[in-house]
Amino acid sequence: MSWNWTMADAQALLPLMVVSAAAVVVLLVLACCRRAGVAGILPAGETPATRIGAVLTVIALAAALALLPVAGAAAPRSVTFLVIVDGYGLFFAGLLLSACIAVALLGHSYFRQETSAGGEFYVLLLLAAAGAMTLVFSRHFASFFLGLEILSVSLYALAAYNRASLAGLEAGVKYLVLAASSASFLLLGMAFVYAKTGTMDLGRLAQLLNAAPQPALVTVGLLLIMVGVGFKLALVPFHLWTADVYQGAPAAVTAFIATVSKGAMFALLMRYLVGVNFTLQYPLLAVLTAVAVGSMFVGNLLALRQENVKRLLAYSSIAQLGYLLVTLLAAGPGGRELAIRAAGGFLAAYFIATLGAFGVVSLLSSPQREAESFDDYRGLAWRHPVLAGVLAAMLLSLAGIPLTVGFIGKFYVLAAGVNANLAALVAAMVINSGIGLYYYLRLAIALFTPSRAEPPPRVAIHPAGAAVLAVLTVLLVAVGVYPQPLLRLLAAVVAL
Amino acid sequence: MPLIATMPLWPLVAYFGVVVVMVAGILALSWVLGQRRRDRQTGQPYESGMVSTGSARGPLSAEFYLIAMFFVIFDLEAVFLFAYAIAYDRLGWAGYVEMLIFVGVLAAALGYLWKVGALDWGTSRYGKGRLPTSAAGGGDSTRGKS
Amino acid sequence: MRQLLWLIPALPLAGFVILALAGRAMPRRAVAAVAVLALGLACALAVGVGVEFVAQGSATQWTSPADGQSPVPAYAWRQSLWQWVGVDGFKSDVVLRLDSLSLVFVLVITFVGAMIVLYSTGFMWGDDGYSRFFAYMNLFVAMMLTLVLAGDLLLLYLGWEGVGLCSFLLIGFWYKDPANARAARKAFIVTRLGDTAFAIGLFLLFTRLGTLDVQEVLSRAAAQWPAGSTLATAAALLLLGGAIGKSAQLPLQTWLPDAMAGPTPVSALIHAATMVTAGVYLIARMHVLYRLAPQVQLLVGIIGGATLVYAGLSALTQTDLKRALAYSTISQIGYMFLALGVGAWSAGIFHFVTHAFFKSLLFLAAGVIIQRLHEEHDIFRMGGLLRRMPLVFWTFLAGAASLAALPLVTAGYYSKDLILSEAWSSNKLLWSAGVLGAFITALYSFRLVGVIFFGQEKTAPRGRTPAVMALPLVVLAVLAVAAGFINVPPLLGGWPGLTRLLEWTLPSAGIHHDVAAEIGSSLAVALTTLAGVAVAWLVYVRKPAWSEAIVRPGLRRLVWRWWNAGWGFDWLYDRLFVRPFVGLARLNRDDFIDSFFDSVAWTSRQTHRALSLTQNGQLRWYAMVMALGAILALGVAIFI
Repeated sequence: MSWNWTMADAQALLPLMVVSAAAVVVLLVLACCRRAGVAGILPAGETPATRIGAVLTVIALAAALALLPVAGAAAPRSVTFLVIVDGYGLFFAGLLLSACIAVALLGHSYFRQETSAGGEFYVLLLLAAAGAMTLVFSRHFASFFLGLEILSVSLYALAAYNRASLAGLEAGVKYLVLAASSASFLLLGMAFVYAKTGTMDLGRLAQLLNAAPQPALVTVGLLLIMVGVGFKLALVPFHLWTADVYQGAPAAVTAFIATVSKGAMFALLMRYLVGVNFTLQYPLLAVLTAVAVGSMFVGNLLALRQENVKRLLAYSSIAQLGYLLVTLLAAGPGGRELAIRAAGGFLAAYFIATLGAFGVVSLLSSPQREAESFDDYRGLAWRHPVLAGVLAAMLLSLAGIPLTVGFIGKFYVLAAGVNANLAALVAAMVINSGIGLYYYLRLAIALFTPSRAEPPPRVAIHPAGAAVLAVLTVLLVAVGVYPQPLLRLLAAVVAL
Repeated sequence: MPLIATMPLWPLVAYFGVVVVMVAGILALSWVLGQRRRDRQTGQPYESGMVSTGSARGPLSAEFYLIAMFFVIFDLEAVFLFAYAIAYDRLGWAGYVEMLIFVGVLAAALGYLWKVGALDWGTSRYGKGRLPTSAAGGGDSTRGKS
Repeated sequence: MRQLLWLIPALPLAGFVILALAGRAMPRRAVAAVAVLALGLACALAVGVGVEFVAQGSATQWTSPADGQSPVPAYAWRQSLWQWVGVDGFKSDVVLRLDSLSLVFVLVITFVGAMIVLYSTGFMWGDDGYSRFFAYMNLFVAMMLTLVLAGDLLLLYLGWEGVGLCSFLLIGFWYKDPANARAARKAFIVTRLGDTAFAIGLFLLFTRLGTLDVQEVLSRAAAQWPAGSTLATAAALLLLGGAIGKSAQLPLQTWLPDAMAGPTPVSALIHAATMVTAGVYLIARMHVLYRLAPQVQLLVGIIGGATLVYAGLSALTQTDLKRALAYSTISQIGYMFLALGVGAWSAGIFHFVTHAFFKSLLFLAAGVIIQRLHEEHDIFRMGGLLRRMPLVFWTFLAGAASLAALPLVTAGYYSKDLILSEAWSSNKLLWSAGVLGAFITALYSFRLVGVIFFGQEKTAPRGRTPAVMALPLVVLAVLAVAAGFINVPPLLGGWPGLTRLLEWTLPSAGIHHDVAAEIGSSLAVALTTLAGVAVAWLVYVRKPAWSEAIVRPGLRRLVWRWWNAGWGFDWLYDRLFVRPFVGLARLNRDDFIDSFFDSVAWTSRQTHRALSLTQNGQLRWYAMVMALGAILALGVAIFI
């Protein structure tokens, strides 16, 4: 297989290269600056390494974000047989990069007082971002697996980043063992599919699926791949790790797992399964429908009376991904455009609200003390009125209340479902929106009820985190009221 | 249409039967043929005739594992260089540049490890608890001291 | 100018955003400047837009619709801003629509709003929640403008609920007193009854007509539904439900007197000049529906007639100044409903305009009096303020005269006279209610003047009225007297400009009534008004002893008390609905339907508990479930 690099290839891959190079650069900077303390210039408790790491990371991510249009000028373009850079991938890459910037800033506020934390957080974050971007640009089993592993390996370390906390270590170990075993399912599935079809190209595979019912081995392989994917997306019945890992990991990392990691995986899944004629792939359809309905019900019911906010948001994210699967099933041969638009809109809404909710958690937490029990949030409106307002807005958006971006997302998912006559899925979604309202509002109301217990200590709000929350809140309302720019962007993405 | 309707069922059933019979047969045979004793030494671990003493869970320096892990990682990366050597001609300049990048990343990682003191054996230059990759070296108790 | 239409609601909204985010950090002067500037600019812009609209509208070839017909399509500007959501079969646009009806409302809202906010900068100076107050006020004006400018019923509903929210927040502005919070809750819940009917009405319109665009709804309804059809009647009735809730008409009027718990400028702006007239706006906006459902239109008139007499008599007996004005507001909106009910569309809107001026004036003057008399609300503890507060006296007098509709010299006269002369030709019974109401109105308005400003001084006022509060009083007083000249009937040699403008949008009332009857009606109104003023003067200024004689023990006193309590509606509703409901709820705690919902909740909780057991934190169990899940998935694929 001969391959010649051209400038266009480099141009298309520029964002990915910037992020990857930044990881190496930040690593070297950290190694050099570790001891070079600059006394008096930096605020107490902050080492130069963390400050420089944070600044470099945000600059690199922002640069990659700014380079997306440059890459878009060369799109759509296949770079080697591994990677394809097109409008779809660029949209999701933009979403992921924006989320990564938010996570970097939230992490910076979270680790503000930690002297021994070092800046490795940012190296791992950049690596994970590179993995996630590889996933959304991937068009081959090899790049799929490579991206997934880069993402996962970084996340093992990130989840256990709080070495002092037993819960953090537990989260890291659980994630490591379960992710590794799910990856083995994935690999076995890939082997089966390759053995039967002789191709590892995802686009080619999608064509095969669309052409005719596939032999049993391919179906079995696909289902085993779905196990690996379902694990990453925390879909029922591969969801059990979610709550434990969300709870144990630092809040900023949890935000990353809930958004970037899931978003990248879903983007890949969507790219190749959207538009597949599921009537030909009946087993796949049956399993995906069951998984979607199961995720909605199990996620929402688990969250119902949950007293731990991080676990509650974990269960809520299981249900949200269940809603998202509806778009996949709604696609069909005719509904591709509407489905991609619905999924893009829903994911953007989910990203904003989830990052915002975990952002509030993260601002109230520190490595020494995670603010996760309901008691930490009771009466928050009196201690931090603005934070309480932001969290309430995020929860309302997750519940899908009109004038928030969450409503727009859910509206289009429902519209896609109705359009495709998925009566059962739509009904499940409506019922679950009702169940969801219960616990979202339960938390929202708790914010405004006076606290019975001893109020937790007031924490200082770091400006970086506050800025992230401000931007997210503005987006939440602005896009909820004026969704046109987002919809236009999505329409352009579908057209590319 | 369920998969079951698209494929013959009997090989599966036969395979299942063979597995069950084989495993059951091996267990049964060893039970029938094997000798059973309950002596004083039966439960002891076999140590080439030596009587084992003490606990197997002696403390080992964390650096031991670290170095072992670094060795495995860098050793494995070296495998790619062998693969590259075989395809050296065919990959041309593009391959050469890619390989340079690869080695560069490895070197950066090595430099990082060196600078943070992960390769120091026993005597940490920067005090305990500074090293993010060797949690056991510092331990939880020393966090935040330095 | 035309392209700037969106800025009119956007400016107050921007003011709200600034004050909400940075208000607490800003000095009071800056807060006041932002609030006044936002509304002042919006007002100036509205005037500019209005001038251009009228100029262009007059220039277009405009044929007046045939007598009594709706001018559809009306001359209107549309500004489509963006699409909120849109899929096949349902779309909702954010679209503004300016026609002569909404233009009149926009001008009044922005102008009166700016005046009242200017006044509030002085009135609220010593209050802790200074920036919060102005943030709410700006939000209110933005929502109110959204309501009247909405070209889509869903957007209108957003504004409708938005003003309801602001009303709730502002009634309960001093939330530390539980009574205020209770009043806010009452207002919210009672109007909610109407809003629910309104929402159902919107669903009905959407399912039957397939659109929520105002213009489309009107033209499709006119095309698809025959006059008197059940659907048109149902839709009109449901919308009427929303209107009477928001406009405090019988039988949903009980919240408005309690709403006086809010600061006085709030009462002036929201509960007198603007929000409570949203019901009038809604009915006028959907006038085609009401013409298709004549019975409902008659019902509108009957509600108006009954309300105006009922509330007038209640106003007569109030001793709390603000409550008296509140009942007077209910009564005056009753006039507007009466006008809409008899087909005097533009007369009703004209009365809205004059009422906005004189009633906000009365409230603002009342605010000054109350503040300078140490929060004294009881009019019988005031007295003799004529010499101590001459400016307030003259402005209050102008407002009261306009409210009483003193013939020829006040704005209130022209609008009330127009309503009643058109009512005469369509429904004699409603006309008599209106004339009776005119007598009562004159009586209670001059009762207030007499009791407050004449007689013995009972409480000494303190301080002076600041210029920022005096200026709005003077401006509004001038308008309360002079605003009538924009619409002088031809009979008096004038030119009815406002009526002509409104007839671009609303059906003309027709000219079929004879001149003699019109003169007769006008004379009757003028005479009853003068009689009312004379009686009030006699009883409350010349012979104060008589007023005490009225409330001597006996039947008269009972009646007095009954009226004072708003005819006992609160008591009645408490006995009729609240208590039986609570009792039924208590009795029926375990009824069948409840048990169904309980069982849903119970099942959910049990499932939650069962599922929680799966989250046992054990890694091997997690791994096993994952493997089982994979096997299950394969099983599903293989066997199903």
